[in-house]
Amino acid sequence: MNVFQGLVLMLFSLLAAVTLSAAFRGMVRKRIAFMWLAIWSVGGVAIIWPRSTVVIARSLGIGRGADLLLYVSVLLMLVGFFYVYGRFRRLDRQITVLVRRLAIDNAEREARDAGTREAGPNRTQDPAWSKDIS
Amino acid sequence: MTAEVTTQLAQSEPALPEAVRASTAIVIAAFNEAGCIASVVRELRALSYPKVIVVDDGSPDATAEEARLAGATVLRHFVNRGQGAALQTGITYAVAHGAEIIVTFDADGQHDAADLPAMITPITRGEVHICLGSRFLDKRPEMPWLRRLVLRAAVVFMRVTSRVKLTDAHNGFRAFSRQAAQSVDIQLDRMAHASEIVDQFYQSRLPYREIPVRIRYTEYSLRKGQRSSAALRVAFDYLLGRLTR
Repeated sequence: MNVFQGLVLMLFSLLAAVTLSAAFRGMVRKRIAFMWLAIWSVGGVAIIWPRSTVVIARSLGIGRGADLLLYVSVLLMLVGFFYVYGRFRRLDRQITVLVRRLAIDNAEREARDAGTREAGPNRTQDPAWSKDIS
Repeated sequence: MTAEVTTQLAQSEPALPEAVRASTAIVIAAFNEAGCIASVVRELRALSYPKVIVVDDGSPDATAEEARLAGATVLRHFVNRGQGAALQTGITYAVAHGAEIIVTFDADGQHDAADLPAMITPITRGEVHICLGSRFLDKRPEMPWLRRLVLRAAVVFMRVTSRVKLTDAHNGFRAFSRQAAQSVDIQLDRMAHASEIVDQFYQSRLPYREIPVRIRYTEYSLRKGQRSSAALRVAFDYLLGRLTR
C-alpha cells in the first residue's frame, strides 16, 4: 500500500464513521446514510484494489478502469446537480411565499391602521391563500 | 374575425359602468419605476379605476412612495422576487379583496389605459373569462426589428410547448375574471411567468380571446424593458420549470 492509498483510505474511513454516527443520531435518513456508506465502500475497494475497476469496466464493455471511474463520477455529478437544483427551486418558492405573505399582511395592517378597514375575507378559508401555504 | 376585432378597437367603445370599474383590480408589478409609476397610476385613477394595486418588487428607489402618493394600494416585496412573483402577489391580494375582474398592466407606461374597456367588456358580457392583449393582432406596430423577431420566436415557442395559438405571447396586458384568477398560481418567479400564466389559463379551459392593444414604445420603456438577448434565458427558465415541477 502506498502513501496515497493510505491517506485516501483513512479519509474514507473517517467519512464512513461520520456517516454512521449521523445515521445513529437520526440526523440523516437511513436510506441516505446507506447510499453514502455504499459510495465510501466502493471507493475504498477501488483504492485498495485498483484492478477491480478494470474487471468491472471490461464486463461493461469499457476498456480501462479509469474511464469507468470518469463516466460514473460524471453521471453522479449530474444527478447531484439536479438534486441541488430541485432543492434550490424549493427554497426559492418558499422565500417567494414568505415575501408574498409579508407584503399582503403589511398592506392589510397599514390599511387597518389608516382606519380604512376593508371587508377582508377569512384568510384560512380562501383558496387563494391555502394554495400558497401548501 | 378580424373585422369583429377591429370594431372592438374603435374609440366608440362605451365607457364601463361604474360598478364594473369599482370591482376591477388593476395589478401592476414594478421594480425601480419611480420615474414613471406615478403617471401610470394617475392615468388609471383619472379614468375612475379605484383599485390600482402596485406591487413594489423590492425596489431600492422611491417606487413605493411614488405609487402610494399617486393613490395606489402598495404591496411591498422586501426582497426582489421577480415580475412573476410580484404579479401573483397582486392577484392573490385582489382575489382576497373581492375583485371580480383582475387586470395586469405594465408599470413603464407602455400600455394604454384607453384599451381597458375593450379588454374588460367581453368578460362582463360573459363571452369569455380571459382577454389577452396583443400588439400584433390587427396592425404592425413600430418596433425595433430585433424585438419583432424575438417576439415572433416567442409565439412559435409557445405553439410548440403549450399548443396555444396566440399572436403575441409575451404581452403583459391581460384581463381576467375572478374564476380565471383562481386557476392561476405563478411558480416561475422571473420573466418566464408570461408563458406559464398562458399555460394555466389554457389548462383551466375557460374561454379566452385576444384583443388588439396599443403599445407605446417609448425610449423609457425600451431602456427599462427586457433586452432581446434575455429571451433565451426566459425560454430556458420556462423549460426547466416544466421539467422540475
